[in-house]
Amino acid sequence: MDSALTEISEFLQAIPPMGLLPPSTIEKIVKEISICYVRRGLALPPQGSVAKNLYILRKGALSYVTENNELIGKYGEGDICTVFCIGNQDDNGNTIKVTTDEDTLLYSINYEKFEELVAKFPDVVAFFQQTAEQRLSKKMLQVNEEAILNSSLLNSSIANFYHSPVVTVTPDTSIQQAAILMTERGFSCLVIANKDIPLGIVTDKDIRRRCVAQALDIQQPVTTIMTDNMTTIDIKNTAYDALMMMTQKHIHHLPVTANNQLKGMVTVTDLMNNEGQNAVNITSVIHKAKSVSELAEISKMIPKLQIRMAKLGTTADHVGKSISAITMAFTIRLITMAEKLLGPAPVPYAWLAAGSQARQEQFAHSDQDNAIIISNDLQPQHQPWFKDLATFVSDGLAACGFIYCPGEVMATNEKWCQTQEKWAQYFAHWINHPDPKSLMHCSIFFDLTTVHGDSRLLNTVREKMLKTTQRSTLFIAHLSRNALQLRPPLGFFRDFVLIQDGENKATLDLKHNGIAPIVDLARIYALSEGVASVNTIERLQQAAGTPSLTKASAANLIDAYEFLSMLRMEHQANKLQLSQKPNNYLSPKEISKLEREHLKDAFKVIKTMQDNRQSTF
Amino acid sequence: MLNNHPLASWLIGYEAQRKRMLKKAPKGPLYNFLSVPFPQLFTPFDQVPILAVDFETTGLDAIQDKLLSVGCVDLIDNQIKLGSSYHQIISSRGRLTPDNVSIHQITDDQKDQGQSLAQVIEQLLQRLAGKVMLVHFARIERQFLRQACIELYGMAPVIPMIDTLMVAKRRLDKKDVAYDPSELRLSTLRTKYNLPDHYAHNALNDAIATAELLLAQTNECHENPALEKLLL
Repeated sequence: MDSALTEISEFLQAIPPMGLLPPSTIEKIVKEISICYVRRGLALPPQGSVAKNLYILRKGALSYVTENNELIGKYGEGDICTVFCIGNQDDNGNTIKVTTDEDTLLYSINYEKFEELVAKFPDVVAFFQQTAEQRLSKKMLQVNEEAILNSSLLNSSIANFYHSPVVTVTPDTSIQQAAILMTERGFSCLVIANKDIPLGIVTDKDIRRRCVAQALDIQQPVTTIMTDNMTTIDIKNTAYDALMMMTQKHIHHLPVTANNQLKGMVTVTDLMNNEGQNAVNITSVIHKAKSVSELAEISKMIPKLQIRMAKLGTTADHVGKSISAITMAFTIRLITMAEKLLGPAPVPYAWLAAGSQARQEQFAHSDQDNAIIISNDLQPQHQPWFKDLATFVSDGLAACGFIYCPGEVMATNEKWCQTQEKWAQYFAHWINHPDPKSLMHCSIFFDLTTVHGDSRLLNTVREKMLKTTQRSTLFIAHLSRNALQLRPPLGFFRDFVLIQDGENKATLDLKHNGIAPIVDLARIYALSEGVASVNTIERLQQAAGTPSLTKASAANLIDAYEFLSMLRMEHQANKLQLSQKPNNYLSPKEISKLEREHLKDAFKVIKTMQDNRQSTF
Repeated sequence: MLNNHPLASWLIGYEAQRKRMLKKAPKGPLYNFLSVPFPQLFTPFDQVPILAVDFETTGLDAIQDKLLSVGCVDLIDNQIKLGSSYHQIISSRGRLTPDNVSIHQITDDQKDQGQSLAQVIEQLLQRLAGKVMLVHFARIERQFLRQACIELYGMAPVIPMIDTLMVAKRRLDKKDVAYDPSELRLSTLRTKYNLPDHYAHNALNDAIATAELLLAQTNECHENPALEKLLL
């Protein structure tokens, strides 16, 4: 073909989904092009054309606005405008008007002719038929497929890993009988069960530490040395969830249940055989560390793990969970060190994580958000102990690369190291007096989880709090309004929506413009429906189908959230690999045109849901 | 300009010249070209059929140097119709100098596979009939086309032309400020109008680039100028 038209062909080829077409078809499409030039500030179609045309932006910029002149989106070089051929209504049924923001050169193609030329290519036809939501969902499907290919653990059910049947003994079995049985069967642990209801677990270690070392009578019932209140996992979970649970609790045996009935046992070895270097490895090293400097050394592995997981195609959800679990392991290890140094806690307490760590959405180099909840038995003379604990752990975390929270949301802040009663008062105050400061605290402290200590302390407060929020429509309304202040950028990659100053010039803030709005929405759904989970995806899943959130919307939001998180994870992995500090500022040049398309789709989903939220109140 | 006087335009206007030449022209491509009336001077720009043309040559002298390739594309109704684009390499005697090859990317082999000058000029005249010819810096195209027609048909036809360089120059002259001649280059002018970079020195590519520039120039004032205002 003529080289002039080759240039135009190459331009077309680079635009999704045209790259899916063979060169001969692209050549035919090029022959159908009419080039038009539209001055800045004029309405499309050019010269009031009434033909059904597809427009491709060769140079310049377009704005889409509603009849009320509300901006819907911005489009630039390489974007396809289908308003005048497929439909001129947006998702909310508004008629779209298109105007030029700059002098614009357009390639106009008769849409009927175009359809005829691409008819034989279903992927291309589908691209033009799908809505933004559908395109995004398809993309997420591909991403998950990669994850399946790359790591079997993530998406395989525990059912593929557990041993069955598990060796169980009745509660009246003696320690000796249990030990004999374990030796005979070559098992390192037994489950004590009453009619298939698991009561507890006993391991080699328990016999050594709780029986032999204590010179306990071996004829005593095995229940005296078993670990009761044991952690179990439901068979419906994935093997990865089991791994994460073991990592967090630092246990190596996890009984598997179905409808509360014991089904089998999954061990860390079962899972380790499938994953080489993983979160479990790191956490077991953490638990063996003897000093803060040793921990600091280990913490250098976190970015490497994040890179590796990102490169393996692990989903952002799993990376967030792994990194959060590792942070948890660091915290627990530091607390244990502190308790050794300071002596045991004077009264029961729990160490809490807030924000992204609590939501299990943490990435490397996050800042620390933590707090302490203490039993109401606290006496004034006990306070220095907690102050010392907080300082030791917080400094230790800082040494491991978790920077101090700029907002002082840390256990070292006396305000956030309080009794159960005081925490309950805090929540009541925030809910009853939703002023801007309260709302800011809500977004941090409504995402709380227990890292160490008695989890009942927090759970009791949370239950009470959730009952109140469900009834308090005024509070939810305030929270919604507050959350809607973070809007996804409407003009994508045009100069003025990108951050204009400083070292992050001309970049898109993925966290504040994309991820945070979804996290906020999920929190609101959870609080208005009494959902106790704090993880964003879990909140959306559990709120799905309630009056607050339809199932379809939940699925769309999850897709958008996963896509944005994945972009952020890949961006951070690239930064980490270049030994740069990871951040959330994405430069449009970093991502492909196709990803840009999906990014736009994700933003559209968020905007739709925010608009819905706005109209609810 | 003399053209603006009604009597003068009747005497030496394009239409009058065309009719006079038609009487003398030998039957064939030139006669066919001259037998189609040109657009009238008051026709609004968006209704004028225009053919953007570019030649690649071995040099600047129409008598000594050779025409290497011709590219052209239709512009009408404010639209450049890529379906109408035409590009042809001309085979001629004589070797190309290395300098030329590096500029035009046309090698001897390609040149030898080209069509004869007669074939290419015939096709160009066919496409040009009844239209206004659009070029950037008219001297080259005008002289080479003139020379080719004299060689082939014994006479050169009258051709109404628009020159984007002159359109730009007139506007700059009106402003009455000094300007650098380099501001009149095709690529500089395109940048000024926010047009994309183009791969220069291919005849069709330059023809499209010139047509895009004219679209930008005519759209600048939000008006639809009459052909008369744009002609050379």
